[in-house]
Amino acid sequence: MNNAIEVQKLRKEFKAYSSRSGLTGAFRDLFTRNYKIAPAVNDISFSVKKGEMVGYIGENGAGKSTTIKMLTGILTPTSGQISVNGMNPHKEREKFVQTIGVVFGQRSQLWWDIAVQESFRLLKKVYKVSDQQYDEHMNHVIKTLDIEPLLDKPVRKLSLGQRMRCELAAALIHNPPLLFLDEPTIGLDVLVKLKIREFLKEINEKYNTTILLTTHDLSDIEALCERVIMLDEGKVIYDGALKNLKETLGEGKQLQFQFLEKVDLITVKHLTNGMPVKWEWDEKEQIFTANIEDSDELISQVIAQVAAAYKIKDIKINETSTEEIIRNIYEKGAVEVG
Amino acid sequence: MFYISMFFQYLSQYLKTRLQYRADLFVEFFSDLLSQAINLVFILVVFGHTNSLHGWNRDEIIFIYGFFLVPYAVFSAFFNIWDFNERYIVKGEFDRILTRPIHSLFQIILERLELESLIGAITGLAVMFYAGIRLGLKLNWYDPFLFIVFVIGGALVYGGVFIMLACISFWADARTSLMPMMYNISNYGRYPVNIYNKLIRFVLTWILPFAFVGVYPAAFFLGKKEWFWYSFLTPVIGITFFILSVLLWNQGVKKYRGAGN
Repeated sequence: MNNAIEVQKLRKEFKAYSSRSGLTGAFRDLFTRNYKIAPAVNDISFSVKKGEMVGYIGENGAGKSTTIKMLTGILTPTSGQISVNGMNPHKEREKFVQTIGVVFGQRSQLWWDIAVQESFRLLKKVYKVSDQQYDEHMNHVIKTLDIEPLLDKPVRKLSLGQRMRCELAAALIHNPPLLFLDEPTIGLDVLVKLKIREFLKEINEKYNTTILLTTHDLSDIEALCERVIMLDEGKVIYDGALKNLKETLGEGKQLQFQFLEKVDLITVKHLTNGMPVKWEWDEKEQIFTANIEDSDELISQVIAQVAAAYKIKDIKINETSTEEIIRNIYEKGAVEVG
Repeated sequence: MFYISMFFQYLSQYLKTRLQYRADLFVEFFSDLLSQAINLVFILVVFGHTNSLHGWNRDEIIFIYGFFLVPYAVFSAFFNIWDFNERYIVKGEFDRILTRPIHSLFQIILERLELESLIGAITGLAVMFYAGIRLGLKLNWYDPFLFIVFVIGGALVYGGVFIMLACISFWADARTSLMPMMYNISNYGRYPVNIYNKLIRFVLTWILPFAFVGVYPAAFFLGKKEWFWYSFLTPVIGITFFILSVLLWNQGVKKYRGAGN
């Protein structure tokens, strides 16, 4: 078994009830309700190798959480096959969950009223972890996540960042080979985010832990994952390396100029006649933007031409960000990347 | 074995949480005692006006009521699932339950322990002793054992019915107001069932068997031979209903749809 997760033609449908309008409509709803069967996850297939870190991204309602819930055994799929750690999550739930760790960013795994270490102790019993295993593994986790001083505080008194680090530690008590993280960095400040990323990288290297991560923060994915699976309306629209996505779809660079004197668009355009440049002009801000392909020579030529003709107040070179690439993909629909 | 040790783990956790709020614990303890005392006075006053009902005299009725309080207290201590829908389904807490390697229903029972409800059993016992002495009942060596068996049976009947009600949440997405209604119906089990008409009796015996929480088992200790058969059925009904409810629960979990994020 080389794959931690194998999913084939996985599908989950929800009945979506719609109510009729008006009082008569409400009466009719009493007897027969209108409903549509809407697939939240629409026949997706993918597999994740052991030790991989995969980013699972998509807009709200694209089916990310539903997939994660099926993979963790919370929801029963409508159809399709799942094999996670060699087991069917829903069928052998109690045995299966012993082999995974789950962090839901918006939901606490810890007991609200008791001290963090008490929660850990209870979870240790729940997962039947021996004292020796616990000491060996958790001392390290606690040190790396820097939660030692938090251990004797009740969870309700922790800040979000502190709680999140404790959640992560709690999910790792049984040292699972597979970790699901649903929005683990939501609402966290930069420092905590960095610490969590560092930590995830470390356990991935140390224990070869497979990590499946959903997030809205693409910088998380850029920092951690080599591979992304992108979902839209319940379908996988891209599955592959993040780098490819950027290379193929990153659409050149942007040069932005602001001038000291008043300049109009036509004269600027005139300067770069013959060169493959598309100019845009923001009238309010007086910013001239040149969209060109990513070639060092061309960039310096354009800058040289413009700088020779006018006095420049400010100049910027922008690369298309991952965020923009992904926005473009969603606007256009599916992606064709080799 | 694992489940028993988990029970004690959660129990100690529960006690720790309780002990953390010391002031709260005392206030609660005294308010519980007070409400039980009021309950006791209330029972005596209300039943002071009844002399006999279909062949049951006042003290026998008080005795049944006292008995009923004991399994009810056990039920309230362990099956605190009346707000299952709001707490676990609507808020999505059930997701967390399902990611842990213990049976989901057992986890909920453990998380929702409310042992202070057991104080109600003391009132029940006091009422039973009061009525028992007035009736001149003799205590046989096997009575305490049968008492425990009947109490467990009664608590399981209660637990079974309320677990089944909680299961509705797996299928219907709207919250139901069945729980309070069921609490009302359950109260009918405190009174001798032969005061009701046949249909209600049938329902209280076989469909919503609350009669097995109060009158049937209590009849044994009152020496009512014509009800003995029902008395001994108490643990059977209790276990049957409880098993049915667990099977229904297991089916329900498959239908669980989760709450949106």
